[in-house]
Amino acid sequence: MKKLLGNKPAIFQRAEFLSPKDLLQRAAAISAVFLLAHLAGLREYTAVLNGTIGSVKLGWNLSAFLAAIYIALYLVVVVLVPVLVLAAVILLVGRCFIHKKENPSAVSNLAR
Amino acid sequence: MKARIKRLLAGLAALAVAALIWLPCLHFLFTRPVAQFRQEQGLSPKATQLAARHLQLWTDPALRQVELEKMRVSNAEWDFMGRGYLVWSLANMALRNPASQPLYLQTMDQIIDETLRLEQQEGMCFFLMPYAEDRPYVMQPAHSLFLDGEIALMLASRRVIEEKPEYRPLLTERVNAMTERFQKSRRMMLESYPDECWTFDHGVALDAMKMADYLDGTDHSALIHDWIAMAKRRLEDPKSGLLISTFTTDGTPLIGPEGSSIWMVAHSLQLLDEDFARDQYQRARKELGAITLGFGYAHEWPKSWPGQPDIDSGPIIPGFNISAGSSGMALIGASAFQDDKYLASLAATLDFAAFPSRTHGRLKYCASNQVGDAALLYAATLGPLWEKVKSGKKP
Repeated sequence: MKKLLGNKPAIFQRAEFLSPKDLLQRAAAISAVFLLAHLAGLREYTAVLNGTIGSVKLGWNLSAFLAAIYIALYLVVVVLVPVLVLAAVILLVGRCFIHKKENPSAVSNLAR
Repeated sequence: MKARIKRLLAGLAALAVAALIWLPCLHFLFTRPVAQFRQEQGLSPKATQLAARHLQLWTDPALRQVELEKMRVSNAEWDFMGRGYLVWSLANMALRNPASQPLYLQTMDQIIDETLRLEQQEGMCFFLMPYAEDRPYVMQPAHSLFLDGEIALMLASRRVIEEKPEYRPLLTERVNAMTERFQKSRRMMLESYPDECWTFDHGVALDAMKMADYLDGTDHSALIHDWIAMAKRRLEDPKSGLLISTFTTDGTPLIGPEGSSIWMVAHSLQLLDEDFARDQYQRARKELGAITLGFGYAHEWPKSWPGQPDIDSGPIIPGFNISAGSSGMALIGASAFQDDKYLASLAATLDFAAFPSRTHGRLKYCASNQVGDAALLYAATLGPLWEKVKSGKKP
C-alpha cells in the first residue's frame, strides 16, 4: 500500500539538476503550463502588443498582465523547450558514448 | 563533489550546444514559400483565410462592434483605416478572383456607405484622434486629407471594379475639393490634423486623383508631377534620402522618416512615379529592414533620425529596435516591390510572433487588430488594382 501511495511514478521523481531527466521534466512542466494558458484563451490578450486593449471589460492592466504571461510562456516553449530536449539528447548520447568506451558490457540508467 | 561539478558543466555545455543548434533552425518552423502569403495570380491561402475573417466581421455586426470598440479605445483612426485597407484589398481580390466579385462589391459598398454615413452624422473628428479639435485648421474650411484621400481611394477602387453611378459624383466632389486646396496651398501641403501634414495621406490622395483620371478622363498629371517635385525638394531627409512622415503647412518637419509610414508611401508612389517609388523602397529596405536568424523585421526610424515610440510605431522591442507597426507595414512594401526573400522572412516573423488563430478557415492574428489584419490582407492581395489603373484602359 505504502508503495502504491507513497512512491511517485518515475517521471515525477526529482532528478539530479541538469541531468537528462531533469531537463526533460522541466520541458514537460513548462509545456503543460503553456497548454493551460493557451486553453484558458490568454492568446487573445496579446493584442496589447500593438497597443490595442485585449478586452474592454477587463481593462488595460489586467489585459496586459495576461498577455505578458502568455507571451513569456510562448517564448519559453518555442525557444527554451526544444533547447532543453536537445540538451537532454546530447547528454544521453554523450553518456552512452562514454559508457561504451569505458565499459562496453555495462548496463545502467543513463538518464539519471 | 568533483563528479557533481563535472555533471553540471556537462549539462551547461549541452544546453549551450543545443541553443547553438536550435536558434538558427527556429525559423524553419515558421518559414513557408512566399506563395503561401502572396501569389501572382489568384488568392494565396493566407489571403483567403484573412479575407474570410474580415467578411465575417462585416456580416456579424456584434462581432464587428467588439473589434472596433477595442481599437477605438486606443485610436479612432484605426477604425477608419481598417475600412480603407479592407476596401482596397477587396478591390484587388475582385480582380484576382472574379467569381467572388458580387460578394466583394457588396461588402465594399456596405463599408463605404457606413463610413460616409458616420462621417456625415458624427463629423470628421469621429475618425480622428482627439487632438484634431485642440486648435483650428490653418486652411479653412477645415478638411482632413487623411479622411478625404482614403474615402476618395475607396470610392475610386470600387468604381474600377464595377461602375456605380451613385459614387461618381461623390468621388468627383472629393477630388475637386482636394485639387482646389492643393492649388490654394503655397507649398502643396495639406493638413490631416491642424497644421500637421502627412506624406502618407498625400500619397493616398494623389493615388485617388490618378484613379479618378483613369475613371472619368480628368487630368491631374501636372498636379501630381508638381507635388512629387516638391516632395523631392522639401520632404527628403538629407541623410537617408527617405521622405519624412509629418510636416507643418510651411514645410517644417515634425517627424522624420518612419517605418510605419514609408512602406505604404513607397507603395502609393508606385502609381505616381515608379522610379521614385522603387528608390524610396530600396532606401527603406536598407535603412529600416533587417533579417536575423531567418526572421524579418523592421525598425521604425533610420539611425540618422531617431524618434520616440508612439501610437503608430507600436511598442519597440529593445535590443533589436523592432517596431511592430513598421514590421507589419513592411509586408506591404516587400509585397509591392516583390522582394520575396524579405517578404518570406517577414511572414515567418508574423507566424512566429503575431500569434495566428485559425477557426473554420478564418485567420486572425491575436497580436494584431482589425486594421493590422486588414493591412496584412492588403499586403497579400495588392497588385492588380494598380496594374489595371497603370495600364490606362478604361473599364
